[in-house]
Amino acid sequence: MEAAILTENLTRRFGDFTAVQDVNLRVETGQFYGFLGPNGAGKSTTIKMLTGLMAPTSGRMQILGVDLATHMVDVKRQIGVVPEGMALFGRLTGSEYLNFVGRMYGLDRTTAAQRAAELLEFMELTDHPKTLITDYSHGMQKKLAMAAAVIHGPKVLFLDEPFEGVDAIASNTLKAMLQRMISRGATIFLTSHVLEIVERLCTHVGIINNGRLVAQGPLDDLRVSTADEASPGERMSLEEFFLKTVGGPRTAAQELSWLG
Amino acid sequence: MAGLAPDSREQLRAVATLRWRLVLNSLRSVRGRMNLVSRSIAGLLVTAAGLGGAFALGATAWELTRTHKLEWLAAFFWIVFLFWQFFPVMATAFTQNIDTSALLRFPLSYKTYFFVRLAMGTLDIATALGLFWSFGLVIGISAAAPRLIPWAVVAVLGFIVFNVLLARAIFVWIEHWLSRRRSREIMGLLFFVLMIGFQFIGPALDHYAKKPTGQRFGYVAKLVPVQRALPPGLSASVIAAAGSGNASGLLGPLALLIAYSGAALALLHLRLRQQYRGENPEGNAASTATAEDAAIRPGWKLPFFSAPVSAVFEKEVRYFSRSGPMLFTMIMPLVVILLLWGGRKSFLQHQSEFFFPIGAGYCLLVMTNLVYNSFGGDGGGIQSFLMAPITFRQVVFAKNLAQFAVLVVEVAILLLGVSLIYRPPHPVFLVLTFCWYLFAAPINFGVGNLLSLYSPKKIDYAVFGRQRASETTIFASLGVQLVVMGIGAFAIFLGYHYDNYWLGTLILAVLAIPAITAYLILMRRIDAIVMTRREVLATELCKA
Repeated sequence: MEAAILTENLTRRFGDFTAVQDVNLRVETGQFYGFLGPNGAGKSTTIKMLTGLMAPTSGRMQILGVDLATHMVDVKRQIGVVPEGMALFGRLTGSEYLNFVGRMYGLDRTTAAQRAAELLEFMELTDHPKTLITDYSHGMQKKLAMAAAVIHGPKVLFLDEPFEGVDAIASNTLKAMLQRMISRGATIFLTSHVLEIVERLCTHVGIINNGRLVAQGPLDDLRVSTADEASPGERMSLEEFFLKTVGGPRTAAQELSWLG
Repeated sequence: MAGLAPDSREQLRAVATLRWRLVLNSLRSVRGRMNLVSRSIAGLLVTAAGLGGAFALGATAWELTRTHKLEWLAAFFWIVFLFWQFFPVMATAFTQNIDTSALLRFPLSYKTYFFVRLAMGTLDIATALGLFWSFGLVIGISAAAPRLIPWAVVAVLGFIVFNVLLARAIFVWIEHWLSRRRSREIMGLLFFVLMIGFQFIGPALDHYAKKPTGQRFGYVAKLVPVQRALPPGLSASVIAAAGSGNASGLLGPLALLIAYSGAALALLHLRLRQQYRGENPEGNAASTATAEDAAIRPGWKLPFFSAPVSAVFEKEVRYFSRSGPMLFTMIMPLVVILLLWGGRKSFLQHQSEFFFPIGAGYCLLVMTNLVYNSFGGDGGGIQSFLMAPITFRQVVFAKNLAQFAVLVVEVAILLLGVSLIYRPPHPVFLVLTFCWYLFAAPINFGVGNLLSLYSPKKIDYAVFGRQRASETTIFASLGVQLVVMGIGAFAIFLGYHYDNYWLGTLILAVLAIPAITAYLILMRRIDAIVMTRREVLATELCKA
């Protein structure tokens, strides 16, 4: 099966600092892939490279079998992205923004307008038709960014912390939408700090720590393979697996005596 | 500072340290170092202009003091006053309104907040020059009559305090009004009423010019008490009264000057107090779209252009139309028409053929903010452009197209105005201006595109005074404008000298060829440039 996302020795340096080193990702088509790591581990840098927002220092990337460096526009046509900064134009209304994004991805005007209306309805953003995006709450902006990422029906979806700041009701709506996309054959690459969400949604997981990919594979396999050391036959929770893989919880060497 | 509590002093020190650290940290990048160089050059130029003006004003004050014509000092106080108050509003490209709202989350006392807003807001060119020139006046007066030093110092200090407070008050209130749609519309209406009012200046001057000399002096004499009752006149009156040894006569003007400063302080306090309490409507009412925007309609389709170009064009036009400060800047060329109308019966009518080219040049000048930092207002939206499956050339081209459309509208209004007020420009001046645009617009757009990519700076279209590009960009754009304006002026001069304006037109038409070629070559390279600049663009524009 052709990999939806494939990287070979993907590396990114900022001066002397190496943010991502020799990362070899393989995400098959139709997988819901959770990309985890502590703060500053290299998740956002990786996602930026995979979506063409940042150039790698070295290494190769293929999306749906197409080389990103040489066919960037072709790749972009097939992917949807909710980047770290959400990429919104604050002084447009939600419908104007979705219309804009739709046409940027090659939809004709009527289709873009229709899909914009449907997405606003689906995301429950129709109560604020006159409000500019800059006045949306953080959660509303996240929903709009998600709507913009899927308006053209991408085959691969990259989501950088998509549930951050989204309320429980909206979160459920988004999860349902993402699962429907997976069932229709799309591939989703997601980063999140909320391990429960990843555990519930993702079929596969990759963990990056200090710029290096330290674990990758089906979620169930990873939990079993490491659990046998402690208690054979039992599965670890994703949180336990994550903490074990990236070095465990830090024990406070000293108490903050001044903290009430 | 004496009245501030110890923790307030510590907070002020922390804010000052923060500003200093920001400057130091900005030097880590090449762009930051270039900005520092530009800022240093700007500082030298301002110092030169300040010292030059101070010397001229000082020499004049010295002469007036020596010849006992101290009441004439009022004219020079008025010049300084008008510059101090009008320059920051008219030239927002040189004005910076630092966002201090983030400070409100700290336990700052109102006094500290007020002080920070006042101190940071006064670090601008108008205040620097105003201070230089005011001290020039003091030195001139003091050199001619040392016994006047105390009163000159007091009067000028009062004048400075009033100007500083009034300038900040005007700024924060305009910022407030422009951020609300309803009051923005009222401001627009007031502006047009003001324009119509100005139209009576010309006829009024004509009317009074026809009067006998004695009668004219009579009218001027009537104006003198009015100006004396206003702060610049009051400052001069204090010094004049001290000069004539009339100690009791100076107390009245001084008290009134202090009262004016108090009124300006109250105005400033009123607005800053609202901000301090969190009654800050910036970005709320301002960002309310009209009812028709609510309906989901298909986007615009420009004939002959691709869907992405149409989409970006539409987005740009919507941004312009929703930005009070941008509209305020763009309306400025209409001031040219207003001035022309005012002078239509004066000596200006003999030079009317030059109005259209000069006005058209001004139209291009006011576009500087927009053209030279064209991604500044997009903020995080820049990522939308970078992620879209289109060539970046299309984005840049659409932006240039929108900017050009604004220019065309402004020039068309100017042409209509000139034609109605005087007569339609002679065809040679129409063609000359057209050829100058063919030469100047591609250069401006080309260099503007490069600087937008190499020296981007996030700006806020919603808040007055937060449209200033980086120092490097300002300097480079000024350089380009000087060159293109200079070449245009030279073309007109050649035509004037040889009494054949087709000559200058031909030169501009020839120059347009390399200018357009260079623009096209640059556009072909835009995508390659963006590939190397995308990280800087995204980092700089996505900053919180």
